[in-house]
Amino acid sequence: MALDMAKYRRIFLEEATDHLGEISHALLSLEKELEGVEAIDTVFRMAHSIKSMAASLGFDAIADLSHRMEDRMEGVRRAGRVRDHEELAVLFRALEALEAMVAAVAGDRDPAPADAALLEALATSPAASSAPVVDGVAEIAPPVVQPKKARS
Amino acid sequence: MARVLIADDASFMRQMIREIIEPEGHEVVGEATNGIEAVDLFKEFAPDLVTMDIVMPKRSGIDAVKRILAEHPTACVVMCSALGQESLVMEALQAGARDFIVKPFKPDSVIATLKKVLEKAE
Repeated sequence: MALDMAKYRRIFLEEATDHLGEISHALLSLEKELEGVEAIDTVFRMAHSIKSMAASLGFDAIADLSHRMEDRMEGVRRAGRVRDHEELAVLFRALEALEAMVAAVAGDRDPAPADAALLEALATSPAASSAPVVDGVAEIAPPVVQPKKARS
Repeated sequence: MARVLIADDASFMRQMIREIIEPEGHEVVGEATNGIEAVDLFKEFAPDLVTMDIVMPKRSGIDAVKRILAEHPTACVVMCSALGQESLVMEALQAGARDFIVKPFKPDSVIATLKKVLEKAE
C-alpha cells in the first residue's frame, strides 16, 4: 500500500519545528541548571521523535543527526546532568544543524549531511574529552562557549 | 477486524498507523499521546489491540504496558520501536507485550504483525 507522503512531509515540518522549539527552550533551561531532569528528558524525547519521523520520510541526514543527539542525551539521562557548558555547546550546535536541515526541507532542498566534526563531538564521551571532575566542578574549567540563543 | 488504540506522542506516527490499518478494516477507537492517557483510554475503550510507542512523556510505553497488563493480563499490546531500542523492546516483551513493529513503519509489515497477534489472541 502507498501512503500519501506529501501529507506526512507537511506534518513533519510542523512537528519538527515544534520539537526544535522545545529543544531550544530545554537547552536554554539547562544553561541555568545542568541537572534539569525534565529538560534533559525533553531533549531526548524530541530528538527521538524527529529521528523517527525523518527516517520515515527518507531524510537520512536529519535521522542520523537526531539519532546521534538522542544517543548523547541517553548518556546525559544516565548521568543525571549535562556535564558542563562544553557539552551543552555541542547540543546547541546539534540543534542549529537540525534547524538548518529542517529549513532545507521546508525550502524543497535536500538537507546536507551534518558536519563530521559535530557528529564526532556528539559521539565523543565527555568523560574522555573533558577535564576530571571533582565534586561536580571541572579541575580545569573548559572554555565556556556561548551558544546561540535560537529562541527565547 | 479489531478495535485498536494507538499510543504515540507524535501525531505523525499516529496518523501513519491509522492510515495503514484502517483500510484493513480495523477501527481506531482512541489515540493516546502519553503513557498515562494510554492506560486511561485502555480502561475506557477496552480495545482488542494497542500499538504502544516506547518513548512517551509523563509515563513511558514500557511502564504503560506493565500497568495495563497488571490489570488486564490478556491485553494485546504491540510495541512501536525504533533503531537502538532493542533492550527496551526485550523488556516490554518480557513484561507481556505480544510483538513489536519497527519505525520507520513498513505498511505490509505492520499489517502482518497485527494480523499475527490478533490471530494468536483468538
